[in-house]
Amino acid sequence: MESYPIEVVPNAGDVHMACFISVKNAPDLKERLQAQDKSLTFAMVESNLIMDVVQLLVAATRAAKDNDTKKLSTQSLSSEIIYNLSPTKNIAESLKRFGITEDTTSLIAVKIGGDPIEVMEDMSKTVDGILVSFSKLDQEKDIKRLRQYYKIDPKVTEDKDILNWIIGAMAMKNVQ
Amino acid sequence: MIPDVQLIKQGAEARVYLGPFCQRQAIIKERFAKAYRHPTLDKKLTSRRVIQEARCLYRCQKALIDTPTVYLVDLDQSVIYMEYIPGISVRDYLVTEPGQEAEAQHRVAVAIGKALGAMHNIDVIHGDLTTSNLLMRETSGAVVLIDFGLSYVSQLIEDKAVDLYVLERAFVSTHPNTEVMFAQILEAYGESSKASKQILKKLEDVRLRGRKRSMLG
Ligand SMILES: Nc1ncnc2c1ncn2[C@@H]1O[C@H](COP(=O)(O)OP(=O)(O)OP(=O)(O)O)[C@@H](O)[C@H]1O
Ligand SMILES: [Mg+2]
Repeated sequence: MESYPIEVVPNAGDVHMACFISVKNAPDLKERLQAQDKSLTFAMVESNLIMDVVQLLVAATRAAKDNDTKKLSTQSLSSEIIYNLSPTKNIAESLKRFGITEDTTSLIAVKIGGDPIEVMEDMSKTVDGILVSFSKLDQEKDIKRLRQYYKIDPKVTEDKDILNWIIGAMAMKNVQ
Repeated sequence: MIPDVQLIKQGAEARVYLGPFCQRQAIIKERFAKAYRHPTLDKKLTSRRVIQEARCLYRCQKALIDTPTVYLVDLDQSVIYMEYIPGISVRDYLVTEPGQEAEAQHRVAVAIGKALGAMHNIDVIHGDLTTSNLLMRETSGAVVLIDFGLSYVSQLIEDKAVDLYVLERAFVSTHPNTEVMFAQILEAYGESSKASKQILKKLEDVRLRGRKRSMLG
């Protein structure tokens, strides 16, 4: 697991993230999400749509900020993180695209705040999968879907430019 | 405000900071209220400016024009978090390294002209073109357009010509003996933008008007 500060809202606590592969209980997790199971305290993101940790940090930062000012667009801090990854304002579509599905086998668990040791325990207890480092992310990403969802110009080919395009699209969704 | 931030510029309408944001260094540009304006009206105007600035930056990014990526727009606080571009401004380049090689200067001029041509091609009017608002990337020397605080979208040839005129005045007043460089900027501009011939023609009118105005004092 990795933890990062949220500079914009320091009192929200850190963002904790853990990357899992070979996940076996996605159908169960999906069911619990649909039942709005309160014992699920972290967000679960489809890892093949994540270019870089920064992308998640920006989504989490925005969620923490909007939570701070009571301006969440979705029901919870967890769903807000997932919603913020999407460039569109369509909540259902955003959660469907960037959240997990029954077929998910690799995911990233994201939580804002809390004690890192407890968070890590909770995540590994809940997700039945293999915890891996974020450097594994590269092999997971589905560049075709990333291009489609973020409408990335075909002329943009370098990873750092793709990432900036994605962050720009995420940032602009409330000012379009 | 965020810890570990460093104030870079205190302007009349905005404060610009450099600070950490999501594991990167970011520029944090905060617009503040003007004492003489009505508070609610001011909030609206400020908010509109912030939106306008972010939109113009994003419009440029989508057109593959080298500009800072917008990271986060905070309308409550009137703050834009954006990509920090390490490097120096064209202003500092011209002031601290006078008499650079003609070839190097020509390269910079062409880059500026191309960038402005591309920007006007998508109908973004910068509104405040000065040599401080043109940065050169430390790594590649690429020219990056910044400070879209007065930018707007317009198709009018007149608006584009005035945009160029503002830059020309900035060159003349801050950088002596740069006529050649400015001519090179216009040359590159003329080659990269579709309607450029017309815009450059219009620039001559704008200059003439400017001169008349200054003669009237
Ligand atoms: N993205 C950036 N990367 C690096 N430096 C920047 C960036 N944005 C701004 N700066 C630095 O901060 C200075 C001030 O920023 P900017 O020009 O945006 O503000 P301003 O002139 O106060 O704005 P305005 O004209 O809207 O009142 C710039 O001249 C530049 O030195
Ligand atoms: Mg400026």
